Amino acid sequence: MLRYEQRMVLRKQFQAGLTYLILTIFLLVALLPFTGIVLTSFKERRELRDSPFSLPEEWKWDNYEDAWTGARFSTYFKSSVYVVVPVVVIAIILSTMSGFGFGMYKFRGDNILLFIIMLGLMVPFEAVIIPLWQLMGQLGIRDTYWALILPQVALSFSFGTFWMRANFKNIPTEIVDAAVVDGCSMWGVLWRILFPLSRPALVSLVVLLFMWTWNEFFLILVMASGDLRTLPVGLALLRGRYASDVPVMAAGSVMVLLPVLVIYVLFQRQFIRGMISGAVKS
Amino acid sequence: MARVVFDHVYKRFGDTEAVADLDIDIEDKEFLVFVGPSGCGKSTSLRMLAGLEEISEGRIIIGDRVVNNVPPKDRDIAMVFQSYALYPHMTVYDNIAFGLRLRKTPKQIIDERVKETSDSLGIGHLLDRRPRQLSGGQRQRVAVARAIVREPAVFLMDEPLSNLDAKLRVEARAFISKLHQRLGTTFIYVTHDQIEAMTMGTRIAVLNAGRLQQIDSPTNLYNYPANKFVAGFIGSPSMNFFDAMLKESGGRMTVDLGFTELEIPADRTDRYRDHVGSRVTFGLRPEDIHHPDFPPQGVIPQMVMADVDVIELMGNEKIVYLKNDDIVYLARMDPRSDVRVGLETGTLFNMANVHLFDEQTGETL
Repeated sequence: MLRYEQRMVLRKQFQAGLTYLILTIFLLVALLPFTGIVLTSFKERRELRDSPFSLPEEWKWDNYEDAWTGARFSTYFKSSVYVVVPVVVIAIILSTMSGFGFGMYKFRGDNILLFIIMLGLMVPFEAVIIPLWQLMGQLGIRDTYWALILPQVALSFSFGTFWMRANFKNIPTEIVDAAVVDGCSMWGVLWRILFPLSRPALVSLVVLLFMWTWNEFFLILVMASGDLRTLPVGLALLRGRYASDVPVMAAGSVMVLLPVLVIYVLFQRQFIRGMISGAVKS
Repeated sequence: MARVVFDHVYKRFGDTEAVADLDIDIEDKEFLVFVGPSGCGKSTSLRMLAGLEEISEGRIIIGDRVVNNVPPKDRDIAMVFQSYALYPHMTVYDNIAFGLRLRKTPKQIIDERVKETSDSLGIGHLLDRRPRQLSGGQRQRVAVARAIVREPAVFLMDEPLSNLDAKLRVEARAFISKLHQRLGTTFIYVTHDQIEAMTMGTRIAVLNAGRLQQIDSPTNLYNYPANKFVAGFIGSPSMNFFDAMLKESGGRMTVDLGFTELEIPADRTDRYRDHVGSRVTFGLRPEDIHHPDFPPQGVIPQMVMADVDVIELMGNEKIVYLKNDDIVYLARMDPRSDVRVGLETGTLFNMANVHLFDEQTGETL
């Protein structure tokens, strides 16, 4: 008979092994499609007959060159950047200010106002796309970057307000009071005290807004044409021109998802901290 | 000059009156303590003085200025908060220097004052650390340093010791008292802890349900409480209260507690004569109930027999829970007193320190 301590050690080892096994299975399930796309993007068309997970005979960048120049991904990439950067910057500034107002102050009609802003989260985008298309036409900005930026700022602002309000509500009001007594104005409190304290929440918001705006498809498809199109729409267009050239499409897919991946990896630690902040007492 | 006046100040939140008719004149260099239970309006009063809460009615005067509409930064006050409210992203140096920087004080003067203040509080070696790297006591000192570095006319402290452990709290009490002596500035301090109030304040304002109950020196509050609330709030353990009937017959005035009848000392009878025949509340502090073997000098003793319910040995004293019928009351006895749980014991009630209150209004008779 094994002694009690030995049995406990074995049980712990078994549980740890089982945990690793389950995690590994999930990891493979999550990574397989991505690995398949990356490997395919380096292959030639004739190699596709083999398993999608076999290594390419030769690692060549030809498919990326085709996508970048032939399929005009360089143009779409530039357009994506032109849309994403202003959307994220403007939405962050506006969300921080409105989150500060809703999170730190009580004022007449605050709940109603917040509800109206939250409608942006509740109403499906498809429901407003036609009136939005007409509105952009009336404003004379359809088929310009403004038509791609302004609606996405509005959409991001709803979530951003909700996110930053929750963040500011978690900051002890005594810190704000201390800053006011020390001589800070309202703006001083926001930029000198609350803004630096909200870094994890802000980074999370930047990552989320970047991801959503970068991947936005429907709005761009409706509002933009020609060189204004962004990468996800460009990727969809590949299906027409390069329908039979799967490796080029795979290279395009990698180009679309790579920036999101880079942003996530860069800010991963702060992103996770922002996502779980408030979950435990600090 | 930093005289502070609450001139018939009210604070209302909707229909709730958080502070009602607060009328206090605080002298320059005074250490005034607001004390009372949770929700009594003491913090709200301090916040109104700081400018963090608007005043519904009345005036607040600092120095010679009515400050009702003056923003906090222009009131020449500094405040220490319960949670210290240090800025977590700044070093100790930056925390202390923050207020001076906002006032555009020259860099060299900031540096001198931060170093001088931090050295005087024994935190000079912590200037490069961040608040999370400090102990509770150190954080508290940084919060105090942040307040005093600006050399304000009035210091406001909102329960600054309640996050410290018992030992540190005792040290911090002495530290703040010394600070007051050294700076010679007006201190206004809020606490729910009557021991803090008694040990630190030159005067104490006792609040309950938004109303000022009494404002006086610690000794006077203890010896001459204005009403039953103050009598029960000041002193630890609290004063014992008994429902009683005041009687007079054959030239003797007595108070009938049900389980015993006690004679009122002759020098008090005139004061209570109008209430003879009325129901009153009889109050006696635990420290005025003694064991017969250890009667202190100068007491007017009357023997009362009681059952011993619980004994708490504190080392320097015994807190004895006594019981007569279903009435439980406390006595603070000499640690050598021979009392045993479940057995009857004799006790001496010191009638020299008896308090009688109107049963209806609670006012001291």
